[in-house]
Amino acid sequence: MSTGKTLLFENPKTEKKEKYGYKKVKEQDPAFTIQSYMPNAKVAGPPAAGAFKPRKAGPTAFRKFYERGDFPIALEHDTKGNKIAWKVEIEKLDYHHYLPLFFDGLCETTHPYEFFARQGVHDMLEHGGSKILPVIPQLIIPIKNALNTRNHQVVCTTLKVLQHLVVSADMVGEALVPYYRQILPILNIFKNKNLNSGDGIDYSQQKRENIGDLIQETLEAFERHGGEDAFINIKYMVPTYESCMLN
Amino acid sequence: MTTAVQESQPQPSKMVRAKEWSDEVEEAYRFQLAGYRDEVEYKSVCKAEATRWPHNGYIKKLMRKDGNWYYYNKSRECSDKDVPKCKLYVY
Repeated sequence: MSTGKTLLFENPKTEKKEKYGYKKVKEQDPAFTIQSYMPNAKVAGPPAAGAFKPRKAGPTAFRKFYERGDFPIALEHDTKGNKIAWKVEIEKLDYHHYLPLFFDGLCETTHPYEFFARQGVHDMLEHGGSKILPVIPQLIIPIKNALNTRNHQVVCTTLKVLQHLVVSADMVGEALVPYYRQILPILNIFKNKNLNSGDGIDYSQQKRENIGDLIQETLEAFERHGGEDAFINIKYMVPTYESCMLN
Repeated sequence: MTTAVQESQPQPSKMVRAKEWSDEVEEAYRFQLAGYRDEVEYKSVCKAEATRWPHNGYIKKLMRKDGNWYYYNKSRECSDKDVPKCKLYVY
């Protein structure tokens, strides 16, 4: 086997390049291979772990139910598309069945699933009242799955839903405190995801799509509505969070 | 062609477009989104009172003419760009 030095003399092209100031870049060897144990081996650093990388969400139960026509919602193909027409009064719906299913659809990014999941959750939270509280334990896994996709659009929607959830009924904020361990790790990862645009305009602020700001708002809503144990539990999962009530 | 229900209900004598948002415009917006002219028509078609939010009296839910339900938020829904679309009827 020839070393890098002998190769340099054998190849006149490389020598010429060196003369004019080009440096020969030695290929890096991946770590933990035989090449990496060679005397003049240059070992590559560890690859990125991908903590911020969006992950694929599998097919959701929401999509299956929607395509099967199991939801009591009417499809409308007109232009005023910001409302759902419910076939049944929301008050008569079984929240234990439907609310977790709609939350499951928060992972969706394509139309029409994304719209119906988002708007369905909104309507059910707005009009659920006391029926929401008993369903909270069933909502945690869909919320965790949605946040775990780390997809910008999905995380933004889920954060807005969480803000709505804590104010939707009495005691919901307190009921979420035991589940902070499932919800808050992703918020901790993205808490500082703010655009450093210098003195330029960050348009995502106006559209409420700035993840860092949304996380701060969400944590403050959790603290305000989570009772006296909320702050210490948030602080445990998100150490950089500072109280909006104690200071 | 007018149906018997339409003939029985009072017909408005005048219509003006909303210029700026108010509670009255919000009310008209909610009825017109569900396909009704105003509360008068809703009452005559559905034979029922509209459900309202207790804290501010805004419309909470309406049954559309096809039997489906529309649900409305607690707070203002009619954005500034929707204000000129609202029609205010006078009897």
